[in-house]
Amino acid sequence: MSVVLATYNIKGGVGKTSAAVNLAYLSARGGARTLLWDLDPQGASTYLFRVKPKVKGGGRKLVRGKSDVGDLIKGTDHEWLDLLPADFSYRHMDLALDSAKRPTRRLARVLAPLADEYDYVFLDCPPSISLVSESVFEAADALLVPIIPATLSSRTLEQLARVLAGEAENPPRLLAFFSMVDARKRLHKEVMERMALEHPWLLRAVIPAASDIERMGAHRNVVAEFAPRSRAARAYEELWREVSDRLAAGEG
Amino acid sequence: MAREGIQYVLPEGLDAEGAVELLAAHLDVERGRARSVDRRFYDTFDGRLRSEELTLTHEDGQLVLADVTGRALNAAKQPAPPRRVLASDLAPGPLRDALEPITSPRVLTPLARVRSRVRAMRVLDEEAKTVVRVILEEPVLEGPGEVRMPLDRRVLVLPVRGYDKAMAHVRQTLRGELGLAEAAVSLQDEAVAATGRSPGGTSSKLEPRHERGERADRATAAALAGPSATMWATFPGTLADLDTEFLHDFRVAVRRTRSLQRQLAPVFPPEPLAHFRAEFKWLQQVTGEVRDLDVHQAELSRSGSAADGDRSADLEPLREMLAARRRTEFRRMSRALRSMRATEILDGWSTLLETLPALPPEGRLDASEPIGDPVDRRIRKVYRRMVRMGKAIDDSSPPEALHDLRKKGKELRYLLEFFAGLYPEDVVKPMVRKLKGLQDVLGRYQDQEVQAATLRTLGEDLGARKGGPAALMAMGLLVESLEGDHRAARMECAERFAPFAAKAQRKVVDRTFP
Repeated sequence: MSVVLATYNIKGGVGKTSAAVNLAYLSARGGARTLLWDLDPQGASTYLFRVKPKVKGGGRKLVRGKSDVGDLIKGTDHEWLDLLPADFSYRHMDLALDSAKRPTRRLARVLAPLADEYDYVFLDCPPSISLVSESVFEAADALLVPIIPATLSSRTLEQLARVLAGEAENPPRLLAFFSMVDARKRLHKEVMERMALEHPWLLRAVIPAASDIERMGAHRNVVAEFAPRSRAARAYEELWREVSDRLAAGEG
Repeated sequence: MAREGIQYVLPEGLDAEGAVELLAAHLDVERGRARSVDRRFYDTFDGRLRSEELTLTHEDGQLVLADVTGRALNAAKQPAPPRRVLASDLAPGPLRDALEPITSPRVLTPLARVRSRVRAMRVLDEEAKTVVRVILEEPVLEGPGEVRMPLDRRVLVLPVRGYDKAMAHVRQTLRGELGLAEAAVSLQDEAVAATGRSPGGTSSKLEPRHERGERADRATAAALAGPSATMWATFPGTLADLDTEFLHDFRVAVRRTRSLQRQLAPVFPPEPLAHFRAEFKWLQQVTGEVRDLDVHQAELSRSGSAADGDRSADLEPLREMLAARRRTEFRRMSRALRSMRATEILDGWSTLLETLPALPPEGRLDASEPIGDPVDRRIRKVYRRMVRMGKAIDDSSPPEALHDLRKKGKELRYLLEFFAGLYPEDVVKPMVRKLKGLQDVLGRYQDQEVQAATLRTLGEDLGARKGGPAALMAMGLLVESLEGDHRAARMECAERFAPFAAKAQRKVVDRTFP
C-alpha cells in the first residue's frame, strides 16, 4: 500500500511545489518507488521534471475513472521517480469533481490501482480550499504543510486543523514545517519561537529562503542534483528524514 | 517504474568508448561518468531463483532482487557481500518476504563475482528530458585464484515509462543501424557458465531412460549415473552444512541407488554388488539421525509458529535441546563422511558404473537382455507385492506393517521414475500420482511417530532445565497433537490405498508391464 503525502496550503507561493519535488526525489533516491501527481494546473512540478504538461483525455476523464491512470504516468530523469503530469484542464477540476458521484473520494479512487506499484505518492496541490482540497484530504495519509513565519500563520494553521477535524472521515495527519525562512528577519525568528511553543508538534526541520531553491526553475532540476551540498539540499534531507520518522512512528 | 530492459552484445573489436561514440553519432545522448561495479550473483544450489526468472546480486552495499532484465524489485542494505544468505535470517522486510517462499529452506551462495566498468548514458528529447537509459558494461569475471576472464561487453537499454516511441527508436538504431545483436544469455548465466558451473543450478531430478531395447547393464549404469553425480555434487554442501537440503538430496540419491541395486541386481557382478550394497546401507545409516532431526526441527518451527506466542516461547528449551542433539549427531556423521571409507564408496561406485557394460558377462544373468524386460517384471512384481501388503493391513496391524509398505512404495516409485521413458506418459503419470498420494500419508505417519518418540526421550532432560516445566507442558501438547495427527494419517492411508490398488489400476499394470 502506498503512503499518500500531499503538500498543501491554502495560500500560494509558500514552497509547496519545491517541497513536493525535492521530497519525492529524496524518497526515490532512498530506493522507494515514488509517484508525484502534479495537481496544480500551472504545472510547475511537471515543468521542473521536463515533462509535457498534458494528460490525454484531461482531468475530467481522469477523475471520472475513464482514463487508465497507468498509461498517463511518465518516468522522470530519476530512477524510481515517476510523474503524473499536470494538465491545463485541471483548472476546472472542481467542476469535474462537482458533477461526479462522491466527489471527495475521486482522487483516492484514481490512485487505488497504483497502490501496490508505489511506496509513496506525493500530491502537489493547488492553493485553495475547494472540492479538490477536500478530495485531497480524503486521499492523503498526511498533509505536508509549508508555513511562512508570519503573524497570521498560526491562525491559518489552526483553521486548517479545524477544517480537517470537521470534514474528513479519517483526517490525514498534519505535518507542518517552516518554509522560506529568512534567519536574518527578526519577525521570522519571533514567530517561529512563539509557534513552536503553541504547537509543539510542528516539525523541527526548516526550509530556508535560499537562492538555490529559486534556481530550480532555471536548472529544471531538484536542489540535491545541481547543488547537493547546499544549505537548501541539506534542509530538504533533514525534512524528509523527520517526515519519514514521524510516519514510521505513527505520530500526527 | 522501470519496465523490462533489453541487453545487446557489442561485437568483438568494439570497446565501450567506441560504442559511446557510435551511439552519440546516432542519438541525442548525455554521457555519464564511468564507474566500477563489483557484483556477486547468488542463487540456491538447485537454481530456485533462476527458475523463477529472478536474480539476487550484491552490489554497492546492497542485496538486490531483480528480474532477469535487470529491473530491481526489492533491495536491502548489506554492507559486505555475505558468504551465504538464508532468507529466514534476513531482517524482516520486502526482500525477505519475496525470497522466503521461493528459497526456503535452501541457502543462497555466491555463484560468480563480476567486476564491471559501467557507463550510464541518457537519451534525451528536445526538452533535454531522459526518455531512454542506456548502460554500457565491460564485465570481467573474477574467478578463484585471481583468475580474471573478460566477458562479453554489453549494452543494456532501459525504457522510461511513458516514452515507448523513444524506446522503439533506440532499439531500431541499435539493431538496424549499429547492427547489434540481442544477448542470447544474461550476464549472470554467462558468468556462471564461465566458472564451469551450470547456470540453472544442479538438479537431482532423474533423466529417465527411453530405449526399451537398450542393453540392461548399459541402461542401468546410465540411469544410476544421475544419483551418483548428485551424491558427488551434494557431498561438499552436506559436510559444510550449508542447508538441510544437501543432506536430503544426498540421501535420496543413496536411496535411489540402493533401490536399483536391489531391483536390477542380476545386471551386476555379484561380488562387488554385495560389497556396495552393504556400503550404501552404511551411508544411509550414518546420515539418518541428522536427517530425522532436521525434519523434526522444521516441523517444530512450523507448529511453533502456528501456536500462540506463549506456547511458542515455552518450546524454546526444547528447540535448544534438539539443536544441541543435532550438533552432536552432525559431528558423528561428519566424521563418518570424511573418512576414507565414504570417499571410496562414491569413487568405487562411479568406476563400477562406468565399466559395467564392459565387464565379463559371467554371473550377470540379465546384463545383455533389453532393459524393458527386467523393468517390466520388476514393476509388476513390486506393484503386486504392495497390493498384497496393503490389503493385509487392518486396524490391528503394527506400525511396522505401514512402514514396510512405504519402503516398498519407494522401490516402485524409483523404478517408475528411472524408466518413465519406456512407458506411455498417460499410464506412468497417474500411477506415480496415486502412489505419491499414498506415500505422502505413509511418510507423515512415520515422521510423526519418529518425532513423538524423540520428544518422549527428551522429556527427562528437559524437565531438569531452566524453563523445563513449562516446556514439558508445551511438549505434552505437542506430543498429543502429533498423536492425533498420527491417528488421522493412519485412517487416511486406507483412503489413499484404495485407488492405487483398485481393479482398474491392476489391469493397467498388467497391460503396461507384461
